[in-house]
Amino acid sequence: MLSERELDRYKRQILLFGEEGQEKLKKAKIFVAGAGGLGSPISIYLAVAGVGTLTVVDMDVVELTNLNRQILHYDRDIGKKKTASAAEKLREINPDITVKVIDTTIDKTNVARLVGSSSGIVDAMDNFPTRYLLNETAVHKKIPLFHGAIRGLYGQATTIIPDVTPCLQCIFPKAPPKEVFPVVGVTPGLIGMIQATEVIKYLIHDGRLLTGRLLIWDGLESHAEEICVERDPKCPVCGGSHSPDKKSETIPVKSPARKKK
Amino acid sequence: MTVKVRFFARFRELLGTDILVEKKSGMVLATVVKDIAQKKKEGYDAIFDEKGNFREFVIVMRNGKRLEPAETTTVTVADGDEIAVFPPVAGG
Repeated sequence: MLSERELDRYKRQILLFGEEGQEKLKKAKIFVAGAGGLGSPISIYLAVAGVGTLTVVDMDVVELTNLNRQILHYDRDIGKKKTASAAEKLREINPDITVKVIDTTIDKTNVARLVGSSSGIVDAMDNFPTRYLLNETAVHKKIPLFHGAIRGLYGQATTIIPDVTPCLQCIFPKAPPKEVFPVVGVTPGLIGMIQATEVIKYLIHDGRLLTGRLLIWDGLESHAEEICVERDPKCPVCGGSHSPDKKSETIPVKSPARKKK
Repeated sequence: MTVKVRFFARFRELLGTDILVEKKSGMVLATVVKDIAQKKKEGYDAIFDEKGNFREFVIVMRNGKRLEPAETTTVTVADGDEIAVFPPVAGG
């Protein structure tokens, strides 16, 4: 049940997807892997939207060089753990949700436990090895993975529904080389918003998800392109559970549930 | 015959995009891309490795269909084909 306060807080979006949709957000548990450039806007917007339980994982300390893009962290937070900084801001932004933070490095020994029984995993990482771990866990636990990545003014995003869409390994069999990537805050802001939008749509069962499609954003050209991506029957992560009769279009999203008032 | 080659993101910055090339039919796809990329060393090096193969993380598509790295050296292009070459990004 939504409280009077929640009905008021979310009034304008309840116009969009009804109290039923808001309840779905409230019941959801979203795992945000990373409290950096992507994780900051994603967790802020999922918090204000009323996602009931947000778990944010990061192991870093806030540095001055983070502050051009990691909008959860302020100048005063330099030297503080990103998880502590994130928890403080997110709880202030929306005290009506539960914010959990975990100060650790995601690795193969802890990833399954950290993800737990989340409703969705948001990939806000800055490296492919950890993304592959999240992907394996998502596929194994059949939890959706909302992928995003950026470099400079370029970005990409896709939504992965295990058993239905290609997994991250199908789409990117080989990781791009590791580097200190250039970035301006608007790019993770924009890609993060696509990911957060996907999470909300998935949770409230509305719209058409970015499944089977890789969105490519070119900020220099202000141009978005999408390319179709397909499952790899030989994929070492999800190939074994390949179901040829299932097409990426058949995503588990019902018809729009918008509520008009 | 005419083939269109589209580079994305950093590849576009280095080599341009929507490049129309006139080729003899039966040309191998990798060669078509290589011919264009060779015009700028930095662009070539970003896309191809020392052996002249597509770098393993580069995504190559022909008419919207993804090609395996090995296929790029065997698949031939046809008139009107559109080839897309895209570098995934990894930051966050």
